[in-house]
Amino acid sequence: MNHQNHPELAEAFNKDFERTTWHDETLWFVRQKRDKAVYPIPEFQDLRTLASEIKDHTLSNLDNYLIEFEQNAIKNGVKVHWAADAAEHNQIVMEIIKSSSKVEGRNPRLVKSKSMLTEECHLNGFLENNNIDVVDTDLGERIVQFRNEPPSHIVLPAIHLKKEDVGETFHVHLGTTKGEKDPQILTEAARQHLRGKFVAADVALTGVNFAIAETGSFVVCTNEGNADLGVNLAKVHIACMGIEKIIPKLHHLSVYTRLLARSATGQPITTYTSHFTKPAEGKEMHIVIVDNGRTQQLGRADFRASLKCIRCGACMNTCPVYRRSGGHSYDFTVPGPIGAILSPNIDLHKHKSLPFASTLCGSCSDVCPVKIDIHVQLYKWRQIVGQANELTAAKKWGMKGMAKVLSMPKVYDLSGKLARGALRILPHGLTHNQSMNPWAKARELPDAPKQSFKEWYEENRQ
Amino acid sequence: MTSREKILSSIASNKPSLVSLPNVPIFEGDGSVERFKTVLESIGGTAVELTTKSECQEAIDKYYHDLVNIASDIVNANVPINLATTKEILEQVDLAVIQGEIGVAENGTIWVPESNMLNRALPFITQHLVLVLDKKNIVANMQQAYDKLEGVDSYGVFIAGPSKTADIEQSLVIGAHGARSMMVLIY
Repeated sequence: MNHQNHPELAEAFNKDFERTTWHDETLWFVRQKRDKAVYPIPEFQDLRTLASEIKDHTLSNLDNYLIEFEQNAIKNGVKVHWAADAAEHNQIVMEIIKSSSKVEGRNPRLVKSKSMLTEECHLNGFLENNNIDVVDTDLGERIVQFRNEPPSHIVLPAIHLKKEDVGETFHVHLGTTKGEKDPQILTEAARQHLRGKFVAADVALTGVNFAIAETGSFVVCTNEGNADLGVNLAKVHIACMGIEKIIPKLHHLSVYTRLLARSATGQPITTYTSHFTKPAEGKEMHIVIVDNGRTQQLGRADFRASLKCIRCGACMNTCPVYRRSGGHSYDFTVPGPIGAILSPNIDLHKHKSLPFASTLCGSCSDVCPVKIDIHVQLYKWRQIVGQANELTAAKKWGMKGMAKVLSMPKVYDLSGKLARGALRILPHGLTHNQSMNPWAKARELPDAPKQSFKEWYEENRQ
Repeated sequence: MTSREKILSSIASNKPSLVSLPNVPIFEGDGSVERFKTVLESIGGTAVELTTKSECQEAIDKYYHDLVNIASDIVNANVPINLATTKEILEQVDLAVIQGEIGVAENGTIWVPESNMLNRALPFITQHLVLVLDKKNIVANMQQAYDKLEGVDSYGVFIAGPSKTADIEQSLVIGAHGARSMMVLIY
């Protein structure tokens, strides 16, 4: 399949002008809610610093904390599995499901709450190919699952859709009235539909927001209650976590629970902050600990801080590029600024356009609750993309040409003169020709001044 | 080499040199009943103050007289719930009334350990949820809450208001999968 880059996919998204504007404004509204939730907390900046430092410490001792976590989880009666990559993760999950839920004459039934890790591993398709029925239970995820689409945002999976789209999807899949688009009625239809799935499930799978080394517990945060409902009705619970989800002590949760929801959606805390430590009587609990490129990222000094991410999505909501290009334009499980610094580690060639999907304004770093230097890392990935000879020809030669001009003052002065003259003389159709000057696709050049600032300064200096 | 060994040895060779762990202070803050109530109401919950815990029955009779199937170890109940209760019975519960342990004024959340739940699924599958809370156990923020917490039991949940979602066009809808309403009786 021919892989499309970010500018191409963003251009396709931008064809619907009204929807792009709506998407932009909706996410900005979420960013504003974040600000309103953050400003009243006097120690918010202290909490960010603590959150960042606790994660820095944990990453510097990660192997020992994982061992401590494993030992405590085993003591709690939990089965711990390790997966080096996505394929091994998927295989482990499938084997747990097949061995623990022996059912006659039908496929095993799995209900899932949100887990970006399983999206990253493409678990759903793998399980379905192996005759396991998979139901995503988060409302947004169920909507995109019906539509056979990936989530477009890590916290708001269906943020690219309008209520009319959801209404049509539910009409097709859940039999709601054609044209029904009231969110209250559509949510109620999903509630009724999914209650049946929860009660019928054999196995429940969840992600992990935080794993506590000290107690062997893990924490899952949801607003809908779908994780708890699934887990507490099924016989088997599988929790999948990346190695970076560890925090040392239970009381460290007091820092992250004050930051996560405020940064994500502007809520004071998620509705449910669930602490799983031991399986219920007669039930099974499994934890799958996954690497899938994370240890490699840990070894990249410039980029290891990306592993501190707690997946709040604040960097997406604030990003002027994400808001106007949509999550699908990134073509990676985690879109937005954080996705643009995680993805090149996984596949530099495929994701080479993502570090350029940024204005480097730094707003992402400003809102990040764990103080990841996202915009600095975007800039550093650009250097690596260049060194790996992965720049597009236009960008590469444009940069080389620019470097030459900027290093020779006389050539620079002359080019400026020529450009100013040309802009005044040449017809608009040529100066704004979209294939020669892609910058002008949605922009107007200002009128060219008669002289440069340098010339003006020479004339006017006292 | 197993994947476990592979991952651990890869971390050992790739991790940076040890960075110190900061000390998390117990931040001060407003832990008043008033603030708890205001925040709880802002996230879709309802708060009712009682003089004593014995008034819970009266409150349930007043606010939930139209609900039929009630599960509780605090007020009169007609659906007995224990660890062995089947999904089919749990599904019929209209109202669960159980004890909450610690309330947090800053975010309106309440700690509910497994030992208070009667059955792990009850607080989520019930149509409506009432948590009963001693106002002595309201603290200002999460640092104070975790400081007060003696352990996390086998399973325990901080619950903040009713189940909700904004997954359709960012329109807030109360009652996604869990409780459609949530009331706190504070005594």
